[in-house]
Amino acid sequence: MIALLLRLYPAAWRARYADEFASVLEERPLGPFDVADVLLSALDAHLHLRGLGAASQSQKGFVMSQRIGGYAAIVAGILWLIALGAQVINNGAAAVMPWMFFVMVIAIILTLIALTGLSAFQARRYPALTWAAFAVPAASAVVALVGFAAIAATGDTDRPLIAGFSSWAVMMIGMLGLFVGSGLFALVTWRVRTLSRAAAAVLGFGAITMIAAVAGEFAGLVPSTFGPVLMSVTFLAFSGGWAGLGISALRVSGPVSTTPEGASL
Amino acid sequence: MEPRIPDLGRFAEPALLILVSLSDGPKHGYAIMTDVEAGTGRPLGPGTLYAALARLEERGMIEALVPVDRRRPYRLTAVGETMLAEQLRDLAKFADLGLRRLGRSPG
Repeated sequence: MIALLLRLYPAAWRARYADEFASVLEERPLGPFDVADVLLSALDAHLHLRGLGAASQSQKGFVMSQRIGGYAAIVAGILWLIALGAQVINNGAAAVMPWMFFVMVIAIILTLIALTGLSAFQARRYPALTWAAFAVPAASAVVALVGFAAIAATGDTDRPLIAGFSSWAVMMIGMLGLFVGSGLFALVTWRVRTLSRAAAAVLGFGAITMIAAVAGEFAGLVPSTFGPVLMSVTFLAFSGGWAGLGISALRVSGPVSTTPEGASL
Repeated sequence: MEPRIPDLGRFAEPALLILVSLSDGPKHGYAIMTDVEAGTGRPLGPGTLYAALARLEERGMIEALVPVDRRRPYRLTAVGETMLAEQLRDLAKFADLGLRRLGRSPG
């Protein structure tokens, strides 16, 4: 009887589930309810498997974008730590500028990739909120890259680039927007609860302290001895927040486990 | 109320019961069936069980572990845990609303 019922399912379904399904059917005598349920489900399996190919491809694409976003966020976090840390340690000395610029450009590109991958994941549930939070840091990243490209192309930080703003100013506006936008992204990530809320909180903290540090610097509110400490905390939080979100993204999209620990058998 | 576990059609309810059953640890198919039956008082057919399991696995909400004999345990993924928690919170809010309208206190 069980073998006959199993034959009703598609071959692809049997290849995956037949053994365990048969063991379930053998656990207790089959009643009319069970037989009817299996007959309907066999029909459903035939219909469902027709659409499974497309669904499988979609799922693979989704997991891939999530993983790419996760790896990009981790590497971006490390690069932000290197670039921004060097800025604090050397206090903007000219000797570190060329390689620091290069590292920052790569960090911005990777942050953009991370934003895209992680937003695609979170947008499944809260599309409007997620894409609104994506827009600010993504647009800012592009603005910062334009500023960096202009500086690299002309070697002149003071030349007017857009609407009277110099290349340096455009780059700085983009960077600040990226920091503030990362705070918005962190806020949405906290709200959505799909990735690590702790990492989102750390990233959000980094964005807030960045605003405080910049505002304090321009308004002279931060004592000169306290400035580097505040900036260090800011950079650590910003870098750690992105890396933490990347790690949690990889955990969420991790491979199928092969250990039966704790199974009820 | 927004559907929290998407695209499962008539298997949405069995899928929710399965996710709740797996919320306290991995279980194989028959253990899920008996757990759901004990918790709800209603039988979960083996065909329905595996149709829902297949859909949950495709969507990355549960994952299969290595079979022991022919019994294959399943467990919640992080995505499945998140979606289950959100769906249960929504259901709790909805239940509270209904009870308040009936003039009865929740719980």
